[in-house]
Order: sequence, then C-alpha cells, then structure tokens
Amino acid sequence: MNPVIPGPVPVPLPAPPWLLESLLVFTFILHLLAMNFLLGGVIILSVSSYLGRRDSRHRELTRRVSRALPPVTAFTITLGVAPLLFLQLVYGQLFYTSSDLMAWYWLAVVFLVLLGYYGIYWYQIQHDELGPRVAWVILVTAILFILVAFIFTQNMMAMLHPQDFYRLFVNGRVGTILGDVTPLNIARMAHFVVAAVALAGLGIALLSWRWRGESPELADWGRRYGVRWFMVGTLVQFLVGLWFLFSLPVGIRQALVGEKLAVGLLVLGILLALLALLTAPKSLLASSVAILGTVSAMAVWRHMVRLAYLQPYFDPHSLPVQGQWAVFLIFVVLLLAGIATVGWMLYVFYRHSATRRAST
Amino acid sequence: MNYPVWEPFMIGGGLVIGIIAILHVFVSHFAVGGGLFLPLAERKAYRENNPALLEYVKSHSKFFVLVVLVFGAVSGVGIWWSIGLVNPEATATLIHVFVWGWAIEWVFFIVEIAAAFIYYYGWDRLDPKTHLRVGWIYFGAAWASLLVINGILTFMLTPGRWLTAQTFASAYFNPGMLPSLVVRTAVCIALAGVYALITSAAVRDAALRSEVVAYVAKWLLLGTLIIPFAGIWYISTLPSMAREISMGGAPAVTIFAGLSIFFSAVVMAFTYFGPYQRPRDFNLVFAFLIAILALSTTGVTEWVREAVRKPYIIYDYMYANSFRLADLGHIREQGVLKSARWVRQHEVDPHALERSGEEVFRVQCASCHTVYGYNSIRFAVKGWSWAMIDYQLGHLDSLKGFMPAFVGTDPERQALGAWLASLNPVPASISMEPEASTSKSQSSDVTGEGASQP
Repeated sequence: MNPVIPGPVPVPLPAPPWLLESLLVFTFILHLLAMNFLLGGVIILSVSSYLGRRDSRHRELTRRVSRALPPVTAFTITLGVAPLLFLQLVYGQLFYTSSDLMAWYWLAVVFLVLLGYYGIYWYQIQHDELGPRVAWVILVTAILFILVAFIFTQNMMAMLHPQDFYRLFVNGRVGTILGDVTPLNIARMAHFVVAAVALAGLGIALLSWRWRGESPELADWGRRYGVRWFMVGTLVQFLVGLWFLFSLPVGIRQALVGEKLAVGLLVLGILLALLALLTAPKSLLASSVAILGTVSAMAVWRHMVRLAYLQPYFDPHSLPVQGQWAVFLIFVVLLLAGIATVGWMLYVFYRHSATRRAST
Repeated sequence: MNYPVWEPFMIGGGLVIGIIAILHVFVSHFAVGGGLFLPLAERKAYRENNPALLEYVKSHSKFFVLVVLVFGAVSGVGIWWSIGLVNPEATATLIHVFVWGWAIEWVFFIVEIAAAFIYYYGWDRLDPKTHLRVGWIYFGAAWASLLVINGILTFMLTPGRWLTAQTFASAYFNPGMLPSLVVRTAVCIALAGVYALITSAAVRDAALRSEVVAYVAKWLLLGTLIIPFAGIWYISTLPSMAREISMGGAPAVTIFAGLSIFFSAVVMAFTYFGPYQRPRDFNLVFAFLIAILALSTTGVTEWVREAVRKPYIIYDYMYANSFRLADLGHIREQGVLKSARWVRQHEVDPHALERSGEEVFRVQCASCHTVYGYNSIRFAVKGWSWAMIDYQLGHLDSLKGFMPAFVGTDPERQALGAWLASLNPVPASISMEPEASTSKSQSSDVTGEGASQP
C-alpha cells in the first residue's frame, strides 16, 4: 500500500530546494551549538550542584556558569526557529502530519521549554539563597529539557516514516500517537544528549579560561573539570555513535555507505573528534575548532540520513519553484547587517568590561 | 482534509491558538513598546540628572527581560506550534508565501535578544551613551520585527492583490498592513505604560513613585488616544462582510467588539482619573486592575479580529476548515470523504450512517467546532430535527454568513445530518411524525433507493 502523504500546497517554493536545505542545515548547526551548551550545561550543573553541597569549587563554578545560561537558552530557542522554518517549508507535508499525530506531546514542548527557561532563571537568580535545594532546581530543569529532546527525537524520526502514518492514524486518536519508542530512537536521542554533555564540558572549560585574571585557581580547576567532561563525553560518544549507526536499518546504512560524500563526512567527523580529544588538554582553541568541524560534518550527515529515509517516498526536488530573489537579497543584506550589529554590541560590551577590569 | 485533524478535547483547536495568542500579543507588544520606554526613560534620567529615576529604569529592565525574553519568546514559538497543529494547510501556505519575511524577522529577533541581554547586563559595564545606543538598537529591531509580522497577519484578512498576482510584495503590502501597523504601534505604547505602571507602583520612595507613575500614565493615555483613530482607518480596509459581522451581523462578535471599545474606554478613564491625576494615591492593586482590564481588551479585540475573518482563514482563498476555494468544485463532485486523506471511510456507509457523518464532521467542521465543549456542535443543533439540520447544512453560507458552505455529496450531507441529529436524541414521547418521515426518505436517499433530495 502506498503511504498516505498530504499533497503539497499549490504555492511554489520561494527558492530552489538546495538553497533551502543548505540554510536548514547551516542554521541547524548554529542551533546545535547553543542547544548543546544548554542541554549539556544543565546536566553537568546538576552533578556539580550536588557536589557543590560539600565542595566550594563546584559551588563557585555553578554560580558563574549559571550566569551564561539565560542568554544561551534565549539563543537556543531563537536559533532553533530558522531550521524549523526551512524544515516546514521543504518537508512540511511530512512534518505537519507527524506533529499532528502526536499533537499533545508536540504542544507540550512549548510548556516544557517555558518551565525549563524559568527554572534556569530561578537557578541563576536564587543560586545562593536556595542553598542545597539549588541542586533540585537544576535537576528538574535538566529533566524538562531531556523530555523536550525525547519528544523532538520521536517527531523527527516519525516524519521519516510516512509509510506508518496511515496505520498509526487508523489505530489511534490523532494528537495522542507518540509512536513507538524504538531502540533506534533511544540511540539517536542518546547520541544527541551525550554530544551535548561533551560540548558543554568544552564550553565550561572555555568559560573558565575567562576567569584566569581574577581567580586563577578556579579558572585552572574549571578548565580541567570542563575538559574532563568533554573527553569522557566524546569517548562515550564513539560508542553511542556506533550503537546509533548499527541501529539504523540495513537499507539506510547501505545507501549511505554507497555515497562517497556520506562516508567522507562520517570519517571526517570522527577524525576531527579524535583531534579535538587529543588537543583538548593543551589547546582549547584547537579543540573547539576541530569539534566545530565534527558538529558541522555530523549535521550534514544527519541530513543525508533524512534524505536516505525519504528517498522512496518524497523528493523535495520535484516541488515547483519560483524564486523570490529580491526579498531573499534583502534577507541576506539584513542578516549581514544583523551580524555586524551583534558583533559591535559584543565588542563594546567586552571592551568596556576589559577596561573596567583593568582600572580596578 | 489534507492533514489529520487534531481535535483538542473540549477546548478545540481555535481556543488552543486563542489562549496562547492572546497572552503572547499582550507580552509581545510590550516587548516593542517597553523597548521604546526604556531608552527614553533612561535618557530622561540622564538629562534631569535623576539617579533615583535611573535606578527605577534599571529595575524595570530586569522585569522587562524576565517577561519579554522568556514568556514573549516562548509564547511566540507557541503560536507557531499551535497554528501548525490546528491549521497545517494554512500555515504551510503562509510559510510558502512569506518564508523570507519570517527569515528577516528571525534576523531581527537575533539582534533584539542580543541587544536586550547587553542592555540588561550592561548597566554597570557600558558608558551611558553606549548603553543608550544599545537600547535604541533593541527598539529598532523589536519594531522591525513587528513591521514584518504585522504584514503577514493582515494578509490573512486582506490578501488584496496577492489573490491574482501571487508575489511576495503583493502579499505583504496588503490593504490592512499600514493601518494595522499604526494600531499595533499605538498598542505597544499603551502596553509599555500598563507594564510600567506595575513596576512604578512597586517603587518604595513615595516622591519617586509619584513622579514615575505620572510619567508612565502619559504613555498609556497617548497609546489609547491613537488607537481609535487608527482603528477606524483599519476597519475601513476590511472586507464588507467582515465589517458587517462585527456590527450586528453576528451578535457574539458584535458584543465582543462592543466590549473591546468599552474596556478601552474604562482603561483610559481609570488611567486619567487614577495615576495621571492622582499619582500619589496609586498602588499595586490599582496597577494590576488596569493590567487585567488591558489584557481583557487585548483578548476581546484579538478574538474579534479572528472572528471577522470567518468563514475564511485566508480571505477569499481558503476557508477556516482549510478547504481552498479553488478545490471546492472538485470536492463537490468527488465527495469530501473521497477527497480527504485522513478518514477511515472513503465512502458513506449506508449501514453505519452516523459513523460516516462523524467522519465528515471531523474533516469539515472540527477545525472550529468541538462536539461537547467550546463552540459545541451538540449545543448548536439542540432541538433540531434531522430535516431541520439537513436544511441548515444545505444553506450554511447564506443562513450563517460566517460559516463556509457545506461541501460534499448529498449522501455525505445526509450522513452528517444523521450524526448531528444523534447527538441530542429526541425522547420517544415527543418524537414528531413529519420529521420521522423526512428522516426515512433521507435515509433511503443515502442507500440510493429513494427519490433525490428536495
């Protein structure tokens, strides 16, 4: 039986699919960077806040790292808007269907994020006043975000299985069909969560480096602590990655093995991760650049997995296109102007901070 | 029809969107207006060399960040989430037409968020001139994001030239865009005042409280003064049917439109005679009262704005139930069950008429009606016989101007009627013969044995 897939809207795509997909992957990488620091950060802070009951270094570290979390949360959400926008544009026929089938769960994401976001502010603002309870606040926040990751995984996997849509529809009630929680889905989610912990470890190490002027001991300890999370996380990730790879259906794996680009990306991602692992104790910068390469390669690889899954059922290149080039140009110009503006604001912010530190 | 229909139990999809949207509108307009208030109030403090006022602006900025960056941002995503679930077809259409508009808005969001944090964390780090400049960048980006989304919102009610031209410019520069932009900007100014009344009422120092309260009351009064004039301009651009609905055509909508004017007038009167004239006596309870009234105004006004768009979701292009006008002929010919992808039966089953009717309801009516809850269909047809229901279904668009016509074959309409009639079973003792006989003849129509529908 042919899968039931909604028909495309009779309005052409405003740009060719290759451009929209490139933007989808590029903005997804940006979202990943912020999301990794947020999700991994709250997990690491849960552990540190627990240890901080007895260890003042952990207490001080959590206090300082907590200040970075509100902006990181804001950027995780906002940077996530763009990839989801392009996903809806190109793959809407699949995405809206899978979302509708699990509508209650999908809508719950909004409330979980809202609660988690306030949890982060509570943790930051009341960090000292909460005393030992602070560990519970961040633990609950971490659980909320892990739940978000779980629902995302379920939906992103469900949209790749249009052949199951109608069966699920007939046998369930629209809005309540979360779909099967398969070992593959768990492996995929674990792959994301472990990556987040590793990257957040590196992020904490980078953040600690900024404290070297005022608290050199804490900065040094924080750097080593963050690097340890990064290294252990990355080592575990190799195992989880293998688990995920070998959980993929044979057909999908074979299709990817047949693609030189997919194999090249996978090898490149692994080699760069190894490089990041080796350089982390000595050079945070080299390690960060290498791991950025891994994240980018893996994001493109993930997109290729999506294409391999959908290849029998859906081809975005078959959709009609009528480029809206003038407004696209405005977008590009404004994007550059926006980046320049944010760059200027960050520059004056840190320049003034540096001046202030130097004068005190 | 193209997508599975999600029926949120009792509340219905419309109300899910409505609840999130009203709260978001109340906060997002503050995000813009408050963004203008902060640098202007800060500049005032510098010019008057008033450190106490500056302290107030600082504390207000914390409140601003907690409300706007958290609730404003997440509820905005919430609207997007909910419209995609309730009206995927319309959402997909909007995204196809406006994706670069949304991408541009996204750029403004990035600048807005970065500016908000740097403004908030920069109080003690940046010199006053640079700090103010960051404040202005925030406001510029926030208002620009309103500029973008406003055109997309008004497109749904007044798509104008897009219906024939189908270009981005014809869609964005639609008849309602400019007047709505003025209305919304005025709302932003008014809401900046509403929220600032809350924070100013909490100031401990009586002299400072009095000074700030009187200042922020002017914001509220200025906003509410502009709204009616811009509102009349906006209403003049609406399709005539939309105007009629709000001015007597649909009693509930008219009542809500009246309430919108009433609440606005009350907010204005309370502000003028309260914080503006007697800032000394102003307190937090009064501030919350004004905020609740302002939220009520936002709620009823947004409800009216949505209601007057009925029966469409994109005017003259797509009905509220996601049926495109261009597809109606095909659906009538083929039947709605055959055209729909997400049904369990693709043809009316004469032996399970009510089940077929329920399927037709789900595809055609459930985007606005629930069975037992909000806008309950069971309540709407209470006391109606099957014959009465069938007549109404056959003339929905002319009898109820805010509803689309029933689209489908005669057997499908009769099946829907049968199911609707079954929702309020008539006790045997008051069952009426003529209706029973009509029902019988309709039932035989469905099986193909009887005469055609009258």
